[in-house]
Amino acid sequence: MARSARFRSIAGIALAGAMALGITACSSGDSGDAGGGDGEGLVTVGFVAVGPEGGWRTANEQNIQDAFSTENGFTLKYAPATNGDQNSQITAFTSFIDEGVDAILLSATEATGWEDVLKRAQEAEIPVVLLDRGIEPDDTSLYTSRIAPDNVGISTSAAEWANEQFPDGAKYVVLEGPPGLSVVNDRNKGWDASIADNFTKVESQSANWSTEEAKSVFETILKANNNDIQLVFAQNDEMGLGAALAVEEAGLKPGTDVKIITIDGTKAALEALAAGRLSFVAEYNPLFGEDAVSVVNKALAGDTVESSIVVASTTFDSPEAAQTALPDRKF
Amino acid sequence: MNAAPTERSAAARAVSALVHQPYIWAIVALALLLIINLTKNPAYLAVSVNPATGDLSGNVIDILRASAPVMMIAVGMTLVIATRGIDLSVGSVMAVSGAVSMEFMQSSGSNDLGSAVLAGALALGISALLGTVNGILVSVVGLQPFITTLVMMLAGRGLAKVITAGQNTSATNDAFRWIANGTILGFPVVFIIAAAIVAIIAVLVRRTALGLMIEAIGINPKAARMAGIRPIGILISVYIVSAVLAGVAGIFATASVMTVEVAKTGMTAEMDAILAVVIGGTSLAGGKFSLTGSVIGALLIATLDKTIVYLSIPSSATPAFKAVVIVIVCLLQSQRVRAFFSQRRSSTTRTTKGAVSA
Repeated sequence: MARSARFRSIAGIALAGAMALGITACSSGDSGDAGGGDGEGLVTVGFVAVGPEGGWRTANEQNIQDAFSTENGFTLKYAPATNGDQNSQITAFTSFIDEGVDAILLSATEATGWEDVLKRAQEAEIPVVLLDRGIEPDDTSLYTSRIAPDNVGISTSAAEWANEQFPDGAKYVVLEGPPGLSVVNDRNKGWDASIADNFTKVESQSANWSTEEAKSVFETILKANNNDIQLVFAQNDEMGLGAALAVEEAGLKPGTDVKIITIDGTKAALEALAAGRLSFVAEYNPLFGEDAVSVVNKALAGDTVESSIVVASTTFDSPEAAQTALPDRKF
Repeated sequence: MNAAPTERSAAARAVSALVHQPYIWAIVALALLLIINLTKNPAYLAVSVNPATGDLSGNVIDILRASAPVMMIAVGMTLVIATRGIDLSVGSVMAVSGAVSMEFMQSSGSNDLGSAVLAGALALGISALLGTVNGILVSVVGLQPFITTLVMMLAGRGLAKVITAGQNTSATNDAFRWIANGTILGFPVVFIIAAAIVAIIAVLVRRTALGLMIEAIGINPKAARMAGIRPIGILISVYIVSAVLAGVAGIFATASVMTVEVAKTGMTAEMDAILAVVIGGTSLAGGKFSLTGSVIGALLIATLDKTIVYLSIPSSATPAFKAVVIVIVCLLQSQRVRAFFSQRRSSTTRTTKGAVSA
């Protein structure tokens, strides 16, 4: 008896542990004590997040979690997606509606397929704020506001830098994130619109934001083109760093033989830029927790909120610029 | 005068033996892929010495290097499947192993051989621990392998995230990096290590009774126990071997970029491993297994991955191509299709062989 009860409780703990890693038990520690009773004044906010993905995402989600702190009057329920799966996000989103949270923050892993749940949130009169990633079709009536840096603008600045560096054009490769993301579409849009006509796009290949995949993919692309590539436009830092490794392994010098552009501006990328392994890093500023807090407060107070809020970002085009920025880099 | 005909018949026998191997179609598929690449670029198979690094360089070398992690998990998976089990946790164990080693080297901060060895040993030790849990749950508690390793797959990735606090952790250690990127006489170290490990395991299971016992458990665990084989010990060791090999694969994968990406390292690796095993002709029903087949399956998967990019096909389409290759190879391996192709030697010899080993 006693033993079977103990076994069951151990099994229960193990199961709960396993579930906690999935999406169902999405709330992090702080939501647990919220139910305890310090409730009244706190605003409950559900955060349908992407979860571990890279340095940028970590900085962003940490910043959001810090901004929606108990001191600022919030209880934040953090729900990262299970391995980037949209379904798990929709499940978390729905359960937030059912729980009756006061507001929902959403960083969508995929752009499409959000209409139904967003309508449900609307019916429940829960304001939804999109963080970073937009939805498609971009129906602004379905959400309160979207806070994000301007992807099109950032990749435009990257393309303009490339135009300056290679006045006679160059052969280049684009390393993209997973197809279908609004980020990927926007970063392609800004780049394609601004890159000069004398540039040749040799290849555009997805490396799923991953260093390991980018290294493997770019090593093959280099082989397929007899190393005749002058420029890589990597749509995030991790892939750019992977491409740099592939260039080094091919016996070439990144920054000299192959110039590499990355977007995001994490510490690792700035270190690589300072060391001359990357050539241009365009920041995609992740620190907009304060903006999110003020938008949520306004929306809950019934004030009007702009449907799109652009977060200011900067660019780094030299090792020196990276060195000056590095000491107080927060992500 | 006498020597020539016997030699020829030996060669002919070797060829006919090869044709009747279950993995012959994987070899054919592999050859086909290489031919497709050759039509795009006749110099595809050329291997040259890179003047800048002094290493051998070429697509073949890239394939060998990329196949090493798949080979590790495929070989472990073969043994597990031979016992009529499955190990879905290999990808997560890869992430755990990578996370442990990267986190250790980052916090130790030293760039010496000692810290690389310690990091590797720690990673393999924890992998072995996870494998032991799998093995005990399957053999002693009697949980289904599918459920056990599915739970471990979820728990493992969570564990990797806990170890690195959800961060993608990088480290600097030249010795560790050398495992995946270094060369011996210009030849990639990672493939040499993988090949050596496969060889040791092959000797272990084929030159001792171990392989026979694994097959016996896969065919009929009860009969195996009555015949004096102790399934618990063998099952536990098989899951440990699979997890340790996954740990090695995790070291290979993270050492190549010196970063562990907790959400991506080893992602869907269990699928690649199962595919390599199936392509290699090992039946998912347990019993007979072929390590050579799985190694060829791993090479095929690595080649397929590389070919997709080489031909400028969007790499997001890779799973679809894998599906097509697997369906075709499995169809060709099926008894009925094989019987249709070679009516002379039907499956009778194979069945008697199986019965004897059981």
